[in-house]
Amino acid sequence: MKVGKRSRLQICFEVLRILSEESKNNKPSLTRVAHGANLPYDRFQKCLNKLIEVDMIRERNGEFFVTEKGFEYINEYEKINDFLRRMGLFP
Amino acid sequence: MITGALIASEFISVGLALVLVYLFFKAYRFTRSIYVLGLLVGFSLLASSYIFLGLVLFYENNVTISELFLWLRLIAQGYGYGFIAFAYYFSGKSAKTGRYFLGLISLFSAISVILFFGALIAAPPFLELPSIGVADECLRVANLIFLGYIICDLVKHFESSRKAISGLIWTPLAFSLLWLVQYSLLIWGIDGSQTAFIFAHIARLASLTLFIYIYHSSGGVDSESRKA
Repeated sequence: MKVGKRSRLQICFEVLRILSEESKNNKPSLTRVAHGANLPYDRFQKCLNKLIEVDMIRERNGEFFVTEKGFEYINEYEKINDFLRRMGLFP
Repeated sequence: MITGALIASEFISVGLALVLVYLFFKAYRFTRSIYVLGLLVGFSLLASSYIFLGLVLFYENNVTISELFLWLRLIAQGYGYGFIAFAYYFSGKSAKTGRYFLGLISLFSAISVILFFGALIAAPPFLELPSIGVADECLRVANLIFLGYIICDLVKHFESSRKAISGLIWTPLAFSLLWLVQYSLLIWGIDGSQTAFIFAHIARLASLTLFIYIYHSSGGVDSESRKA
């Protein structure tokens, strides 16, 4: 995608996607999620707090997981990306 | 009866185009991509051109008002296809050139508006714009060029695309239908063929529906399978 700077919504999508993938296999590590989303830890924390605030991520017994609303967001984002690829705008 | 059917066709086109505008707005909100903005503006202008055409039909007894709406429709449609073509042109360039996209588009718009209204006001009678019918045909040729470029660009893009993306055929097909709309209306303008006129309306509805279908057939993985 020929976009220099990621939008806030793109960053949120990356965080949610990586956290959901991490949750599948093992206890998700926030450092790994921050690293995977290519974010400095302080910016990642802000993003995480925002996602908790809008109920896309929840914390239970010190573990973070993606909620139903978060999964819906990931799905919608991927749908739009696929749509734009089909429209021939993105590689 | 025929006018009623035409107004209904314009209303359906407006509805479909507005759904498309909403989808591109949603896509722009997610991506903040300047190229998506180009498509958003382009389809918004197309939607407004359908509204203007509906108004032309509605006020067909008032020549002054219907001619005004005809000019507005011509301008909105020309700019609409122009924006979409520019979006595709710049989406194939480097990220750096993309930054100049809006600037160039604004410059192009400003120059053409100044030239158009300048010609109307300042041009001597022998240089004045001919009738709206002739201007309409000239702009249709421009629209055919814009749409032809978009179709070629899409075919090239999909040929070079290494990743297999399913349903790639629909987008060039939808733009080809829009091309056929312009071509049929050009034929209708020249020889008054009713078949071409009716075909143009059907093809336009089909192309807009196809764009919406492309969105609905695009897939994310559903939530349940992602959680598994």
